[in-house]
Amino acid sequence: MLIKNKRGDKILSLYWFAILIIIAGGIFAMVYVYYGFPYDVRDIENRLLINAVADCVSYTGRINQEIISSGEFYQNASLDKCNLIFTSPEWEEEQYYVKVDFYRINDLNNSLRTLTKGNLNWAPQCEIQKEKESKNLVQCSTKAFYSLDDKDNQYIIKILGIVRKSEKNVRT
Amino acid sequence: MIKKRGKKGTILVENVIFIILNVIFLMILILFIYRQGNGAVVLEQSYAKNIALLIDAGKPIMEMKLNMEDAMALAEKNGVNREEIVKITGNLVTVKLSEKGGYSYSFFKNVDVTTYPDVPTEKNYVIKINGYK
Repeated sequence: MLIKNKRGDKILSLYWFAILIIIAGGIFAMVYVYYGFPYDVRDIENRLLINAVADCVSYTGRINQEIISSGEFYQNASLDKCNLIFTSPEWEEEQYYVKVDFYRINDLNNSLRTLTKGNLNWAPQCEIQKEKESKNLVQCSTKAFYSLDDKDNQYIIKILGIVRKSEKNVRT
Repeated sequence: MIKKRGKKGTILVENVIFIILNVIFLMILILFIYRQGNGAVVLEQSYAKNIALLIDAGKPIMEMKLNMEDAMALAEKNGVNREEIVKITGNLVTVKLSEKGGYSYSFFKNVDVTTYPDVPTEKNYVIKINGYK
């Protein structure tokens, strides 16, 4: 009887250690996976990008006079003077794209003028994500606001911001 | 009677060893999780992205102070000078907390930025946006 009990205890100890090893393995795996994923900051980065562009095209509720004057858009108006730099030594291609559309307040279907900057190649990925969001693709955000020109004409300005940088923000 | 006494002794010793091993096991797990969360790789990435976003959100002549106490302690432990922790080259922020490590992240604002450790507090890093380029 004594020998049988001792064998039973040994089996129980082994069983417990097996459980502990399984739990430890699970925790190690979970921690490794959790810290192995990069922090995805593209949503915040995109919002900051859109805000920077919004400040550039319209400040304190008035559209920049280098873009529009007396209700007429300048032909050479661009986002080049917005102090944005989309190239970087860490990327071969530009990782950003911005598109600004100006609409009359009573006609939101026809854009009066469109200004763009960045890599146009990322734009189609926003269309793909309208059906199903995928983190491996670009991060897209849109913002619209109201503004006036120097003649108090009313406009709605829509800004589309795109940030890629997938390799640094998503585990691919 | 003698057998019973012997058995009780064995059970007690086995239980004590089992409990000690369990405690050691749990301590190793907790230490592993703590070290993972405070490791150079995680902190480098976190601070590089944090600084890049601060610059993107900032405007010229802004001076920001970022508490990097944990990063500075780790850098000191790994033999990295305080002045070399944060470097900005063009529009690329690089945070280095170990000799072989380093993580870079770019910002989109075309600004001239200088970074240096805050002398009086010895735990903050100063990020100064001097102006547009």
